[in-house]
Amino acid sequence: MFQLPTVQFTKEQEQFRLEVRAFLQEEIAKGTFIPKCDSWLSGDDPSFSRLIGQKGWIGITWPKKYGGQERSTIDRYILTEEFLASGAPVAAHWFADRQTGPLLLRYGTEEQRELFLPQIIKGDCYFGIGLSEPNSGSDLASVSTRAEKVEGGWLVNGQKIWTSNAHICNYMVTLVRTSPFDGKSKHAGLSQLIVDLHADGITIVPIKFLTGESHYNEVFFDNVFVPDNMVVGEIGNGWTQGLAELAYERSGPERILSTFPLIDELIQELKRQNNSEGLKQASKVVSRLWALRNLSIGVAQLLESGDSENVAIPAALVKALGTKFEQSIPEITRLLVQTYPTLDATRKIDRFMAESILHAPGFTIRGGTSEVLYGVVAKGVVTQ
Amino acid sequence: MSEMKDMILDVVERMLKENVDKDLVDIIEQGKWASNLWGLLEENGMTMVATSEANGGAGGDLEDLLNIVRLTGKYAAPIPFSETTFANYLLEQTNLHVANGLATYMLSNTQAFVLEDGKLSGEAIHVPWARHTKHFVTLANSVDGIHLVEIDLGQAEITHYANLAGEPRDTVKFQNAIVSQVSATLSFDEIGTMTTLETAFQLASMTGAIDKINDLTVQYTKEREQFGRPIHRFQLVQQHIVNLAGETAIALAAFNNITDALLNNHQNNEVAYARIRFEEAIQAVATISHQVHAAIGTTHEHALNQYTRRLWAWRDEGANTSYWTDVVATQLLENSGDRLWDYLTDTKNTVIKL
Ligand SMILES: Cc1cc2nc3c(=O)[nH]c(=O)nc-3n(C[C@H](O)[C@H](O)[C@H](O)COP(=O)(O)OP(=O)(O)OC[C@H]3O[C@@H](n4cnc5c(N)ncnc54)[C@H](O)[C@@H]3O)c2cc1C
Repeated sequence: MFQLPTVQFTKEQEQFRLEVRAFLQEEIAKGTFIPKCDSWLSGDDPSFSRLIGQKGWIGITWPKKYGGQERSTIDRYILTEEFLASGAPVAAHWFADRQTGPLLLRYGTEEQRELFLPQIIKGDCYFGIGLSEPNSGSDLASVSTRAEKVEGGWLVNGQKIWTSNAHICNYMVTLVRTSPFDGKSKHAGLSQLIVDLHADGITIVPIKFLTGESHYNEVFFDNVFVPDNMVVGEIGNGWTQGLAELAYERSGPERILSTFPLIDELIQELKRQNNSEGLKQASKVVSRLWALRNLSIGVAQLLESGDSENVAIPAALVKALGTKFEQSIPEITRLLVQTYPTLDATRKIDRFMAESILHAPGFTIRGGTSEVLYGVVAKGVVTQ
Repeated sequence: MSEMKDMILDVVERMLKENVDKDLVDIIEQGKWASNLWGLLEENGMTMVATSEANGGAGGDLEDLLNIVRLTGKYAAPIPFSETTFANYLLEQTNLHVANGLATYMLSNTQAFVLEDGKLSGEAIHVPWARHTKHFVTLANSVDGIHLVEIDLGQAEITHYANLAGEPRDTVKFQNAIVSQVSATLSFDEIGTMTTLETAFQLASMTGAIDKINDLTVQYTKEREQFGRPIHRFQLVQQHIVNLAGETAIALAAFNNITDALLNNHQNNEVAYARIRFEEAIQAVATISHQVHAAIGTTHEHALNQYTRRLWAWRDEGANTSYWTDVVATQLLENSGDRLWDYLTDTKNTVIKL
């Protein structure tokens, strides 16, 4: 269960990493973006998404016939690491690249793939994740947004909440109840619909995050018509289809590197101070990071080889341990360097500290809370 | 302990409960403050608690005052209460007149201000509430040594900044400005005492915030249901509740021991130990409370962040953990002959002389 493959990068992959890195450094120097912590969820910048779309860096693993590059999961892993390490604003296309594309490739119709994948790849088409509802967070299967069958499609009523970046998204993959709870399995009767966020009957209301910025939203559905061809996979199979993507969602480098820009700046600061005692302490942080990276990339390799049997537990572990690590970074940093965190600070480390402190609570909540993951791991370990 | 304590605290808590809600706390982020609330506390003499009668005080002692500060922290009251009362406390301790009206202070960066012929020059950063207050109390260097001075902020160039919670933390600059009062030169011991008291005031606010966070969180675990039951029924949530309760109990006990020690002048490093320990308490309390509240707690709309953001801001202000670990380390070195237990239990071992 804990035997994960190791990864040796090829020469081409090492070269690719350098290429991405050089590109990002150049864009930072040009002022295209300002590096931020937690940039994968809070750094939405459509023009940057289009820029990297032009480079072919969205949907990089997808089939060539949709505009993809058919490159490996490990290539994508490298690319993602470089984005996060540089604090690049990749939030706009994030979910489409990470989740929607793979979902459509696995369960979507040819029509859906041809319609959406090329646009996603260009960095022009963004997807939100419509799972949580006010009364259904950890207990996701209890969602009550419902879709009723009508002539030619489905009529959706209800509400989603916490939908990251819905305000800039074109579509949302929405988990809805298509048949009432049968009294036996809560997981039955759930379906995934692609909802056009500009359709009649949709209202999107931003929610202010504790920093005052708006990243997430409430999405209301009032008799929203969704045509039949926007059903993903099979009606009633929504739960299973959603689960299939969980390992990707939980094990990526974004569960370790959300506060990486701060770690980097901490090391720079300690070096500037010639503070070897501080660097000794920081080396523990670096070692923790590397141990987690080994775990995470092992899961990526397992996914690449198609072994989805053994991947659930290590993937949940990456998220549980990785997000705890990311969350600890500002707390460790402040004991090694004097900082005064504010979001508009001119000193880089103060700004990264503020971003990390204020965003950190979300790390162990979004995409499934740590408590829920502990349950998954404990049950999984005991059953095997 | 003052007999008035319970009565005073009752009155203050009622006033805060009735007048401070989420929206009022939020006004601070719009550049405003709760002048009405201040007026109410002033009318009732609460801004003069622990001031001597000669200075127009209304009775009450330092313990009462610190407990009021704790309550202002518990309600995140957007008023410069601890700043004004502490500034006045400093003025009294150095035989100066208390300020009439809103006041603030800055004790760190003692190198910042120079006093020459009764005129002050220099700059301080992160001065709490400067834009809204009239009197500024700070340390200044003259050829004779270090003094406490009081100066009118009308003469200052003030640049607005805010801390993580949106509270005003301004840059204050004086150029040959006339001071209103100057103390005699101060010894390092006296300055150390001031810093100890400053930290005690900060710990009071922090204790209030921690207490409130505990209340909010426990309440939420009873209201929020998932999987058909209130979340306090899940053992992992129970573990959070226990850890949070532990930190809250630790904070309150430390705070009560501080006020007691200050009042009875047997201050045996209570402030130093408490400030160092609060580092952990703040981290644990903020992490746990957010984890239990999950998504709703990360919204601006929810009150939780008004307390967690304050704790995250306050822990980097004034004499922080690194200052106090230095103090304790130095003392331990100086007492190298003692066994730790002898040192810990020596009640004469006091940093502070009131
Ligand atoms: C920044 C951010 C972005 C988000 N983006 C999206 C998005 O784009 N799309 C989307 O659909 N959702 C999104 N979410 C929502 C996220 O998925 C939910 O917050 C999460 O699933 C938890 O649900 P909840 O907040 O309702 O907490 P609750 O489920 O109410 O949990 C409250 C507390 O109880 C604990 N708990 C609950 N059940 C159990 C149990 N059985 N055992 C032990 N403990 C338990 C939880 O761990 C937590 O500590 C986002 C959240 C955040 C913070």
